[in-house]
Amino acid sequence: MNWNPISRRQWLQSAGMGFGVVGLAGLLAQAHADEQSGAQGAAQLAGGLHFAPKAKRVIFLFMNGGPSHVDTFDPKPALKKYEGDKPTKDAQKRAKAGYVPSPFRFQPHGNSGVVMSELFPCLAKCADDLCVIRSMHTDVPNHEPGLIIMHSGVQQPTRPSIGSWVNYGLGTENENLPGYVVLGPRRPVVGPHLWSNSFLPGSYQGMAVNTQDMKVDKLVANLNHPSFSRVEQREQLDLLGRLNQLHLEQRQNDSALEAQMKAMELAFSMQAEAADAFDISKESAATLAMYGDTLFGRQCLLARRLSERGVRFVTSYYLTPGGNQPWDTHSNNDEQHQKLCADSDRATAALLTDLKQRGLLQDTLVIWSGEFGRTPYAQPNDKGKHGRDHHHTAFTTLLAGGGIKGGLTYGATDEFGMEAIQNRVHVHDLHATVLHLLGIDHEKLTYRYSGRDFRLTDIHGEIVREIIV
Amino acid sequence: MKHILPILLLLLSLPASIVADEPSREQLDFFESKIRPVLIEHCYSCHSAEAQSKGKLKGGLLLDTKQGWELGGDTGPSIVPNAPAAGSLMLALSYEHDVQMPPAGKLPDEIIKNFERWIQEGAVDPRIDNKPMPDNKPKLDPNQAKEFWAFQAPKETVAPPSKYEASTKIDSFVLSQLEAQKLTPAPLAEPRVLIRRLYLDLIGLPPSVDQVNEFVNDPSEEHYLTIVEKLLASPAYGERWARLWLDVMRYAEDQAHIVGDDKSLTYPNAYLYRDWVIQALNNDISYSDFIRLQLAADLIEGENSPNLAALGFIGLGPKYYDRNQLFVMAEEWEDRVDVVGRGLLGLTIACGRCHDHKYDPISTQDYYGLAGVFASTQMYNKPLFTPDNSEQDKTSGPSYEQTAKETAKPKKETKPNGEAKNPVEAMHIVREDKPRDLNVFVRGDVNHKGELVPRRFLTVLTSESSPFREGSGRRELADAIADPSNPLTARVIVNRVWGAYFGKGLVGTPSNFGTLGERPTHPELLDDLAARFVKAGSSLKWLQREIVHSRTYRQSSIGSQDSLAADPNNQWLARMPRRRLSAESWRDSLLSASGQLNSDTVGGPSIDPADTQQTKRTVYSRISRLELHRFLAMHDFPDPNVTAEKRAETITPLQKLFVMNSPFMLSQSQSFVEKLRREIPDDAQSSDALRINLAYQWLYSRSPTTTEVDLAVQYLKNGDRTARWISYVHALLASNEMLYVD
Repeated sequence: MNWNPISRRQWLQSAGMGFGVVGLAGLLAQAHADEQSGAQGAAQLAGGLHFAPKAKRVIFLFMNGGPSHVDTFDPKPALKKYEGDKPTKDAQKRAKAGYVPSPFRFQPHGNSGVVMSELFPCLAKCADDLCVIRSMHTDVPNHEPGLIIMHSGVQQPTRPSIGSWVNYGLGTENENLPGYVVLGPRRPVVGPHLWSNSFLPGSYQGMAVNTQDMKVDKLVANLNHPSFSRVEQREQLDLLGRLNQLHLEQRQNDSALEAQMKAMELAFSMQAEAADAFDISKESAATLAMYGDTLFGRQCLLARRLSERGVRFVTSYYLTPGGNQPWDTHSNNDEQHQKLCADSDRATAALLTDLKQRGLLQDTLVIWSGEFGRTPYAQPNDKGKHGRDHHHTAFTTLLAGGGIKGGLTYGATDEFGMEAIQNRVHVHDLHATVLHLLGIDHEKLTYRYSGRDFRLTDIHGEIVREIIV
Repeated sequence: MKHILPILLLLLSLPASIVADEPSREQLDFFESKIRPVLIEHCYSCHSAEAQSKGKLKGGLLLDTKQGWELGGDTGPSIVPNAPAAGSLMLALSYEHDVQMPPAGKLPDEIIKNFERWIQEGAVDPRIDNKPMPDNKPKLDPNQAKEFWAFQAPKETVAPPSKYEASTKIDSFVLSQLEAQKLTPAPLAEPRVLIRRLYLDLIGLPPSVDQVNEFVNDPSEEHYLTIVEKLLASPAYGERWARLWLDVMRYAEDQAHIVGDDKSLTYPNAYLYRDWVIQALNNDISYSDFIRLQLAADLIEGENSPNLAALGFIGLGPKYYDRNQLFVMAEEWEDRVDVVGRGLLGLTIACGRCHDHKYDPISTQDYYGLAGVFASTQMYNKPLFTPDNSEQDKTSGPSYEQTAKETAKPKKETKPNGEAKNPVEAMHIVREDKPRDLNVFVRGDVNHKGELVPRRFLTVLTSESSPFREGSGRRELADAIADPSNPLTARVIVNRVWGAYFGKGLVGTPSNFGTLGERPTHPELLDDLAARFVKAGSSLKWLQREIVHSRTYRQSSIGSQDSLAADPNNQWLARMPRRRLSAESWRDSLLSASGQLNSDTVGGPSIDPADTQQTKRTVYSRISRLELHRFLAMHDFPDPNVTAEKRAETITPLQKLFVMNSPFMLSQSQSFVEKLRREIPDDAQSSDALRINLAYQWLYSRSPTTTEVDLAVQYLKNGDRTARWISYVHALLASNEMLYVD
């Protein structure tokens, strides 16, 4: 393609074509290749944006509402011993009831002995692939700011999401598919800002896919012409191509016009590719069964299909058609967790197993997390059984694949699970680590906007090197 | 006060030894064994030269040299020798106040006692750094800073001579530059190209076949000027140009988040503001008044002002979650300062929230002086009904009945503070709150208060700094911005309008005229135009005339090969840039072509732009911060959460999927074919040829070439005739010729 010789900066800011197909890495590689007039550009691309990547893509399994760490991956026997005692320090004011133990049994699994509760019988079999970070913490115990900071690194809806940043940095691996797809049967709390490109170019926005109906034409709007066959549409586009070509020839081969024509062809190819990528009915019955015939199971399966076709960042939100934050168990915590974990456990384990079988786990980073955890003390409930409230000073995040040390339990909370005390990992640190795994230096991935350079990690973020292979 | 007593006691009990110049061996040993290791382990990661080099220095405080703690950080000296209670260090170690150090947890009492003893005994510290201390807070000299081009008042200039013939003063500047760059200007555009361009630029709609022919038959100067006047007088002019402003002021009708079904923070009647903007542009009120009313209509014209809706400029700003918290309000104030700063003045003032601007003469004090104005201003849902229900409120444009039709059950209920309970029954504006000055929040941290700053305008733009005196100071702020002597206001709007015509402003960073912004490509032109704009009563229609009358605007978009090669970015304007239509103009053109456009209704509640039943212009689209409409989002409509500097231009397959497959496009194709059929009945012998020709006239204002006719005939001869025609027209609508203006 003949581009007008515009500056690289303009290039980066207008983001050129496609679904942000190119990304910074691609552009830098391209510029490099131009300068060297050789194939070194591609080599540089393979070498990552700033250094060699350990992961090429990310699947974020988001447990909306905040799972209870003391019922899942962070056993706290002291809650039994001190049952009913109220917490001290800051939490004293908030706690309306005392500590309450988890009713679930915890056990070590795999060769590594990673401990998890009995709610994860399937994931237990993947124990040696998991890194359990028990020392996560965030800034506020409220959903909105918690969700926004987990997605964009600040508490207010004013910055690009991590998926947009990653695509801005790396571009997608498949120009016929969007680079950033988010899956859910409805909007989570906060909503589309969570996958917003904000001030990055529009092509880096997450493409939201409503998974209530998994038929392909329902998943992707305008994917197919309502009546044309592919042959008929090809014929129409050929005509359009001819007309555009005549128009172009009279306009000094304006590169922008040419880019429009290319995009039209790309869209045509994408129709076929996306129709295939988004169609989980093409999976075997055994695979479908392995993931579980649930919304979240189907989403995880779709996430794998998209990932393996080169979608850089997929977020699968754990939502239900009736609720936008199912894990927000203010009442009946135990029963709710039993139900939610059964679903999440099977689908997550299936995803890890499936990725591994296909040789994809080694360069696909899987994250399992909520926006925060839940209180080790009870939240009394007049009508039903006790719940647990929002808890931001300690929670658990799981990581697997893409350069992560498996079979590792990292960090620790105090004896009640109130505070992360050892090897604390803030959300910013998680972000810095995710970017690092993708070959991106979080301090160097910046975008000039409103007079200054912005970063995903703002002025924070320490890479958690101990969990990286 | 409670610290004074211990200090006095300490002073009285000073041991004689510490007065000596040389520290004793014992003192040094104590430092080395008890103090230095603790500093290294617990403090250096954030308070050392190394941390500073990594950009991790916190609180501006260095603890790895003696000079470091002597100089202190943001909160002043951290250690005062012999007076442990006087510096901030012991306070932080004590964990009794807001600032608690080290952050990982309070140090054991024994260590804290060691620090107390060390300081008490004179804080002997051998870590003398002979390098000059890095200047943490470089202050820009305000007088020197004022010499920067953007802070100098723009002046009229004598038109420079050129060998090329100029039509207007704009041309003189452009042509003399071309001459200097050794470039040749393009010839004038053909009449049919020019007229389509003019219509799309002035009213955002293409001309009809008759309108094209009218001009092609008489392309005289006089006729051109008449058409310009006709278009400027059309209500469609305001509909076209309002969007420029709405992008800047981040117009939206809701918030970026919603808690449950709580709609209390949404702006269902935001359209009253949008319609006010359209009217104001159509009435060509002066740009000064345009700004003044938007910031302070209530204070300038009183509670019964017919222009209250203008206050949506601030009143439609984002409201964030948990608004009663100080740190949340600090975010909202930043939005207000930012929309005023970048939107009206082209200055990134909001940088001053956390630190003095690194490149422009804007201090944190400047920021908090402005933020205080907005801290003294309340977001206000003014009832659209009169609470006593005796009479409808006539002050707000559309009557209450008209607005409340949308409401299932109009309740006409107010809150104790006078606001309408239900936003559906309200106009979303601002009103005065209790005036208050803000403390500087050190490094943007609301828990870390610095000096109190009186509400006032930017130092660099005022000759003498005087605090605002009337209420919040909003009116004084509005006046300071609208003041004809303000060097930025006129330049910034003139540049934005210029950018809408030429694809790029004379300053390439329309919201940043500061040091990090771009310099103008034609400084004298920008200044001359800005100065004459002010002299012309800051009339935007005057500005439009100046531009469209120019030869520069009327030249062809086909440039000479030299100019393409020498100036590919076209910064010297040796040709008119070929421009992609905005989402608005493109959709409006399609609707206009298919005969579906409803261009009679100006104003009113918002619509869904992709709904095939909605035929109002795109400027009336509902704009959501929560979920921007897919059609708009995919066509580079800016994020309405923040003020938009300019629109990005991306070319993506998702846009093309919409073009190829959307019900909207199919519906337009269908309507277009029906219109063709009505015009040229099916039985005519040569109906296809006539229709092809007419389609080209309607869509592209020209006749098809023989090649184009051949292609069409070939395509139409197969398959079902109606389906084929719809498919053919669909291709014409999907073409680049439809999407671009030459």
